[in-house]
Amino acid sequence: MATTAPRPMSAEEKKVIFASSLGTVFEWYDFYLYGSLAAIIAKQFFSGLDEGSAFIFALLAFAAGFIVRPFGALVFGRLGDMIGRKYTFLVTILIMGASTFIVGVLPNYASIGVAAPVILIGLRLLQGLALGGEYGGAATYVAEHAPAGKRGAYTAWIQTTATLGLFLSLMVILGTRIAIGEDAFAEWGWRVPFIVSILLLAVSVYIRLSMNESPAFVKMKAEGKTSKAPLTEAFGQWKNLKIVILALVGLTAGQAVVWYSGQFYALFFLTQALKVDGATANIMVAISLIIGTPFFIVFGSLSDKIGRKPIILAGCLLAVVTYFPVFKALTKAANPDLAAAQAASKVVVVADPAECSFQFNPTGTKKFTSSCDIAKQRLANASVSYSNEVAAAGTPAVIKVGETTVQVKYSAEDVAAAKAKAEEKLAALNAAEPKDAKAIEAATKSVKELSNEKTAGATLLGANLGAALKAANYPAKADMAKFDKTMVIVILTYLVILVTMVYGPIAAMLVEMFPTRIRYTSMSLPYHIGNGWFGGLLPTTAFAIVAQTGDMYNGLWYPIIIAGATVVIGGLFVKETKDVDIYAND
Amino acid sequence: MWKIAVGFVIFAALALYVINKGGDSLDMTGEKHGADAVHSEPAKADAPAPAADASAAK
Repeated sequence: MATTAPRPMSAEEKKVIFASSLGTVFEWYDFYLYGSLAAIIAKQFFSGLDEGSAFIFALLAFAAGFIVRPFGALVFGRLGDMIGRKYTFLVTILIMGASTFIVGVLPNYASIGVAAPVILIGLRLLQGLALGGEYGGAATYVAEHAPAGKRGAYTAWIQTTATLGLFLSLMVILGTRIAIGEDAFAEWGWRVPFIVSILLLAVSVYIRLSMNESPAFVKMKAEGKTSKAPLTEAFGQWKNLKIVILALVGLTAGQAVVWYSGQFYALFFLTQALKVDGATANIMVAISLIIGTPFFIVFGSLSDKIGRKPIILAGCLLAVVTYFPVFKALTKAANPDLAAAQAASKVVVVADPAECSFQFNPTGTKKFTSSCDIAKQRLANASVSYSNEVAAAGTPAVIKVGETTVQVKYSAEDVAAAKAKAEEKLAALNAAEPKDAKAIEAATKSVKELSNEKTAGATLLGANLGAALKAANYPAKADMAKFDKTMVIVILTYLVILVTMVYGPIAAMLVEMFPTRIRYTSMSLPYHIGNGWFGGLLPTTAFAIVAQTGDMYNGLWYPIIIAGATVVIGGLFVKETKDVDIYAND
Repeated sequence: MWKIAVGFVIFAALALYVINKGGDSLDMTGEKHGADAVHSEPAKADAPAPAADASAAK
């Protein structure tokens, strides 16, 4: 067991943390750019594609996040264990930075045709590959520079970069939009945040070039003990593979779902389920992130004293035990009218079970068009709690809201009748004096939508269901007069603090689980599978569960089950690592 | 440490100002994958909800 007396962080150690964290900021910056600018990028690069090509590109975009990153973890993990941490994560940041920059100068579909989306997807695949190697490199590099007893505190700095990357991307995007105006931003200004990334890249490369190789790797290399085949050693030998699997199911899977629930699902829940306007939801989440971010350091440091395992598993356990009451409290604080409507009104989907699918759609390319699926999508999107009733085989689904029955599919006669009624109303409005411009505009829109064969059925369903839900007191939007800001911030901050509990000590723990010769490879894969697959599939799985069961809270079962499994498996089989001598098995 | 704390507070204040200014035009849900990444038009009425896409995968 190696122990050293506590001492302040040296200048070299600060530089190591800064250099490593900068790459991770970059990673997050990029992550949020592709979120915030998704609509513009799609318009610039994919709008000219036919449906079949768009489908293929959608699958490739999905692969960039879900398949290529774990693959990158293997590729760069292997390199990191063979040629060294420093040069490997210099390569990852160069690939990542160059790909991001090139997106900023890449001609669009209008200029070079299908080559534009092909190159863009190629760049995203490259980014995904580099990203797979970046985090493991940063965590390993910092941990191998940290003195024993300080690894939790030192690596926790890397974990704060998620918040910094988010804020940085938003600042650059909004700064550009304000400076050049919305039209110019949509035309060419969206490129600026990508081009600006070259500055971040230049600073990162400059600092990383001036850094020394990790002392653990240097020692191992000097002794001629580097692995010749890290992949075979890490995954081909049960002794190591067992630890990789435990790291995945006993740590990173739970960590990932708690993290995604606390930040992304909470935001989604506020805007989509509780109908809080986007601006308010963004501010609430941002405030909670700001309050919560220092806790990464708090829990990272605490893990050096009381252990990584108790903190990570306590975070998962608290999630398991408190998610339902906490999200219900969030509903009461953010949209009490919705909570009241859910409690008071009975909504039933009456459908032939053969028509109902489990609407799991990770690539977003499947279409669920049966009357049962449409009914459930509509109700899930309106945050309506509903029960299911079996209808005779072949019967189209209907929705019962109290005493009112709403059809889901409409015949041409239904649409024609509705259109005639809408035209009659429009004519009456046009004839009336004084004219009501707003009502005329709404009626004109209604006639137009009912005239479109493709959308008429959906329009009619939306109108009829909307009216029935309104009569049952379901609010279309959260009433901001009843919105309890303080309580919402308290709840969101609690969720972020759970994130910091599971995420703050994770890098140190993963590093300490594996020997130096295969550390980079072994820790990168469970991290990316845990976060990419278990975390990344949270939104789509949660939605499918909500639509299937008719309860907007039931999506929480996904993170609860995964975090629960992590508590049990981690609790039983994962060993505490805080006092591990990371050089012992070299 | 105090310099980092002050820097973080200034950075956070600036970020809050920006987010406040950006209103609901800012998307904080992270990278888009799958169909979300290639479709520029709003989802059709009968299409699955945005939540059905794995939009926050990292």
